[in-house]
Amino acid sequence: MIPYFYNRAPEKKCLLRILPLAFIFLLFINTHAFGAEHKYTIYFYNPETNINNFASLKKEFDLYLSQFGGYQFQPFSEREMFEKLIANKKDGIFIISSWHYKKLKERIPIEPVMVAIAKNKPTCRRIFSTNRTIDDIKLLTGMNVASASSEDYTKSVLVQMFGENNGSIATSIKILSVPKDIDALMSVGFGMADGAITTDNSLAKLAAINRKLHDKLKQLLISDETLLPIVAIPKLRDENHLKLTKIIKDMETAVEGKNKLNMLGFEGWKTLNESEKEYLGE
Amino acid sequence: MNTNKNNQINKFPMLSALLHNQNKKHIFPAIFAILFIFLPCSTNTSFSDTTENVLIINSDMSIKNYSLAHTGFKSVIPNPKGEIDLGNKWKDEAELEKMIQKSNPAIIYCIGIKAYLFSHKLAKDTTLIFSSIINWRRLTMEENTYGISSELLPSMQLMMYRYLFPKTSKIGVLYSKEYNEEWMQLARDDAKDIGISLVGMPINKKTNIRSALKKLLKNVDAVWLTSDPLVLSKTDSVRNIFQQCDTANIPVFTYSEAFIDAGATLVISADIPTIGKQAARLTLDLLSRQKKKERVNIPAGSHISINLKKVEKNNLLLNTEALDSVNQIIQ
Repeated sequence: MIPYFYNRAPEKKCLLRILPLAFIFLLFINTHAFGAEHKYTIYFYNPETNINNFASLKKEFDLYLSQFGGYQFQPFSEREMFEKLIANKKDGIFIISSWHYKKLKERIPIEPVMVAIAKNKPTCRRIFSTNRTIDDIKLLTGMNVASASSEDYTKSVLVQMFGENNGSIATSIKILSVPKDIDALMSVGFGMADGAITTDNSLAKLAAINRKLHDKLKQLLISDETLLPIVAIPKLRDENHLKLTKIIKDMETAVEGKNKLNMLGFEGWKTLNESEKEYLGE
Repeated sequence: MNTNKNNQINKFPMLSALLHNQNKKHIFPAIFAILFIFLPCSTNTSFSDTTENVLIINSDMSIKNYSLAHTGFKSVIPNPKGEIDLGNKWKDEAELEKMIQKSNPAIIYCIGIKAYLFSHKLAKDTTLIFSSIINWRRLTMEENTYGISSELLPSMQLMMYRYLFPKTSKIGVLYSKEYNEEWMQLARDDAKDIGISLVGMPINKKTNIRSALKKLLKNVDAVWLTSDPLVLSKTDSVRNIFQQCDTANIPVFTYSEAFIDAGATLVISADIPTIGKQAARLTLDLLSRQKKKERVNIPAGSHISINLKKVEKNNLLLNTEALDSVNQIIQ
């Protein structure tokens, strides 16, 4: 028996013919969607910057990575959640700060392969700027300091800057967490904070934008040089880990890729040399 | 507080000794009696140990910006003494007054105008800290009122603009002489420091905004739409400003996310969670009896949204290195 709608119009016959095809197509899409749950992932967490544009970052990176296949980007804002989630993950690579890497590598079998480049170098220093000249370190006790890094990280930088003997002064400092380094510097310049911890690169940016404000700030203490964030991959790796590493490495060669890296505050990557590996405790 | 804790720890060996010396049949009544004595004491200790003497009153938690300020505050002070959400329903004043009295806070953090007005009326002697209030200068403020304003300094906005678009140097502003003459002068001076020439077009109630803007557009690379009450007095005039700028292919940068859909190229606003954190820092400073020079602080964090389609259409040269400062990209 011919279904009644077959007699109604030729386009309906056509519809019936394409239904099985549509069903197969949907099955195909669904298989891929299922596969999408197992995409290899770039896990990103950087306590050195208070990046809070996660929605834009994820969207932009996912769009960029999609042209290379089943890869995705997953940024994190909280260290605890990041560490908990990646503990048993073998399906991705990590962009993390060198400070965090040194802590993570004891627990997770990963190894560093590349380091980020900004202003043509793979390192930066943290600078403690204040709104006035301070001669006695004790006067810093209880000061309000703006920082775009996590509180943990900022305190560790302060302890390193002040020296172990003045650890109690470092811990007495009250951290005001702000979204960006430039906000931290403006906070000092315009009186919302007494001091700021930022990178030397950010101070250079401020000098380019507003020389008068830059000159108003007093650079009180400078940290040791630290490596910029690194790319680490699992020790037990497969072809996809290596492919994804190469995709990240090549981002700087394409305009689109470079723009995405700029969103993280980097210009490109370089392979780690021996002294940099040594710095990371390798 | 620590002394209390130590006292309690020292009492636990007594508990153990007591249990050993008791006959078995007396054990359960003894445990019950001891729990009865110590439990309320330990609850009190843990309460005061972790709680700051501040009450949060939120005008309406369902409003995103109010909720963000609340969360920001609690990231610094996770256990306030109490939290009240006025919500969108009518709250009985007597009931609210009772809640405040019961909580008896040293400080009330008021998020939004409704929370502030209630607190100001019902708890006049309590120190108030406000945030998320547009144009706080119109508020009646007591000696013990502090706050975080919602508006970034003009110099902060201009600096971020300069950072993102280093080649755009002539920016036009429509402003009312009546409200913003002084503001304009300060902004002009700040702009000079960063190599921007701010071109002001004064208006008054009788000015035809369309023709004033037409004149301005001939002479500038971008328009800065500020929160001037005369410029923004009518929805239609705001729509016309965006239309005129779009026709002339001149970018509009402004202070509120609300203008993104209207066609703003760049929005530089205060970062709301940072405002909450600043209010919490202020609370802690006041609780530790630190004197404050400024009663109302400027927001320390910025939030930037950029429409890349518009950037391209307006032929703007974007400093891509500054993209790490952008919170929201629209393409």
